[in-house]
Amino acid sequence: MSMILFGFLLWAASAEAQVAVVAHKEVPLDSLTKAQLLDFYSCEVKHWDKQAPIVVVDLKQQSEVKDAFYKFLGMTASRMKTIWLKKLLMGEGVEPLVVKSEEEMLKKVATTPGALGFISLGKVTNEVKKLMIITPLEKQP
Amino acid sequence: MKQRMLVLLVWGWCCNAALAQSEAGALKVFGYFQAAFGRQKDVDLKIELKTFTLQQLNLFLQKDLAQSWSAFVNFEVVNSYSSLREWGAFSLEEAWINYRRSRQFKLKLGLLTPAFNNLNEIKNRTPLLPYIIRPVIYESSFSENVETEEFVPGRAYVQAYGFIPVGSVKLDYAVYLGNSPNINTDRSRGVTGYDTSRTFLAGGRLGIRNDFFKAGVSATFDEYELQEELAKRLSLPPEHFESIPRLRRGADFSLTSRKWFFESEYIHVSYDFVLPQVDFDKRFFYATLGYHFSERVMAYVSYWDAKENSLPLREQGYQVPTVGATFKFSDDIVWKIQTANAHFDATNPRLDATYNYSYLAVSVRF
Repeated sequence: MSMILFGFLLWAASAEAQVAVVAHKEVPLDSLTKAQLLDFYSCEVKHWDKQAPIVVVDLKQQSEVKDAFYKFLGMTASRMKTIWLKKLLMGEGVEPLVVKSEEEMLKKVATTPGALGFISLGKVTNEVKKLMIITPLEKQP
Repeated sequence: MKQRMLVLLVWGWCCNAALAQSEAGALKVFGYFQAAFGRQKDVDLKIELKTFTLQQLNLFLQKDLAQSWSAFVNFEVVNSYSSLREWGAFSLEEAWINYRRSRQFKLKLGLLTPAFNNLNEIKNRTPLLPYIIRPVIYESSFSENVETEEFVPGRAYVQAYGFIPVGSVKLDYAVYLGNSPNINTDRSRGVTGYDTSRTFLAGGRLGIRNDFFKAGVSATFDEYELQEELAKRLSLPPEHFESIPRLRRGADFSLTSRKWFFESEYIHVSYDFVLPQVDFDKRFFYATLGYHFSERVMAYVSYWDAKENSLPLREQGYQVPTVGATFKFSDDIVWKIQTANAHFDATNPRLDATYNYSYLAVSVRF
């Protein structure tokens, strides 16, 4: 019994640490590669399959989820901000929408056409489309 | 009947305009300025000046016009601009419309800063640069000593560009056309800013990059009129100095890791004279190594080296070692500090000089 409980707790903790890349339900893609995700976040690609513009959403505060997401992209928060600033000042992009919490991120992605964001896997609801699951490196087998 | 047709036409035009408007984004107005306090010292003559200055202010207007079209305007003022006091300068640096067919093909039409090496397109984006005094050929405040626009193309009018992803790397390209450098700037001869020559500027950049490095080669070709004054000074016929083919060649290389960054450029400008004794070739090199101590604090060392021939009249060079640091107070406010030793050497010893520049600046985005 204790083994089952321990296994359940381990699974729950693992799900909490995993990050889901989520998008508005009407985006035309069902999954993403890492290269696509980086292109979308760094404004190299600005439209979903030539449809609606991609609206990137970012978390304001540092958190375990934000750290895991940026680590997966091979970026630091400051480097990503520099990329966004460069695109903005070159007239080739806009800065992302910034939200204060994962709950706000979920709400923003669910209600903004073309939105793309990231939250803990355990917080994903059917209001958004899950495009990718990021498992932190230390959790990978 | 005619009136009805007119009403229908106007109605149709209005509906069309409204639809187009619905696809358009809001007009975005933003920009930045850099204010500085600095000391400049002539090391040999021991002459020193201290000054506050509003080094630069840029105001941008940007609007998404439709799915694949956007417009961008960049006004720039430098050196505490005041038309009343005849200080500084105000200029329309860029005004272009951008068409995005795909990531492989984008087009800019209008007044634009063309792609050349690493810094040319962003040389005036002070929030992106750690420097207060930029590498010598990109620094407008040195323009009395350095012919900056001879090293890099200042403006073009049409540019096709994009990138092609190949595995984990991206291959960048840009090709552009612009006016020749022989624009009429003499107000007494009528309209200025018009290219009265028969030739164009043509240029481009080919590059490769991934998340950690960027490298590329650039080139431009145009023809330069140097005739009247130069011919008189060299006591040679002016036709020797008409339409001199000029080739700018450049290479750039940058590396980025989590904490370190390195960027460098090399530029060689050659003039194809029929006279062997005349040599106007120029070259420039810079390299910067920086380290991010934290998300907020960064420091760098940099070295710039330029050589300008104007043989047989003169030959001169500039060597500038510099160090600096930045402190990011917030996303919109960055403090910068920099000191540079600029040594100007020339065949004419009267022009030999060493200057020390020390500056503190704040870069503010709005």
